[in-house]
Amino acid sequence: MTLLSLVLILLALVTFVGGQLILKRAMESTVAHGLRQSKFIALLGCGIFLMTISFFLTLGLLQRFDLSYLYPFQGLSVIIISVMAAIMLKEKLTWQLTIGSLLISAGIVLVSMS
Amino acid sequence: MRDRPSGFGNPWLQLVLSVMCVLVSELLLKRGATETADPASEWSWTGINSLASPLVWWAIILIIISFISWLYVLRYIPLTIAFPLSRVVDILVPLGCWFFLGEAISARRWCGIALVIIGLAVTAKPVARLEERL
Repeated sequence: MTLLSLVLILLALVTFVGGQLILKRAMESTVAHGLRQSKFIALLGCGIFLMTISFFLTLGLLQRFDLSYLYPFQGLSVIIISVMAAIMLKEKLTWQLTIGSLLISAGIVLVSMS
Repeated sequence: MRDRPSGFGNPWLQLVLSVMCVLVSELLLKRGATETADPASEWSWTGINSLASPLVWWAIILIIISFISWLYVLRYIPLTIAFPLSRVVDILVPLGCWFFLGEAISARRWCGIALVIIGLAVTAKPVARLEERL
């Protein structure tokens, strides 16, 4: 693996996590203010933009690497998103959810490595 | 968790719909991307040349459907619960290959599947309790 592919893999992961957090915030804003408001549209646009970057980076990586090589990195997104949602969105992260996320992440890494 | 609609608007049903669409799209994407791989192309790192495959376009349609139902899920369910649960797709792919295509699953992979199932159960348990109270 070259440095470039590591950077691309990390970039795909970071844009994916960032996109999810922004989309969650966008949908939360619709609860109080509905769909026709500039904050929702701006956040939705940002979220979709980040997810699109992540999508094409992943497609490009799939051309070079096996899915089984790339998937462990996606598995890590579970625990990263849970922790980031707790920090940035102030969601309640109970010890049960933390353990659940860790087990799922570890399981995905195992599944995809074999 | 706030009041939410039942029937087709039930966010848990939408979560299942979203997962199913992702499951099929992942398989289509891998085939489409492999089909169109062109490492010689200067732009191949962007993956953009995979758009030449119709399979990738079918996958994109499914991704759009799963995206809309996912947004709907996000409106009602916290990310710390919805996202881990949505990764059930990562064990459904190997299980689907094993069940439908007769592919072998290694011991290590079975262990991983077991870990994910335990993780899903641990994550879903507080949700079940929450639902009961409503």
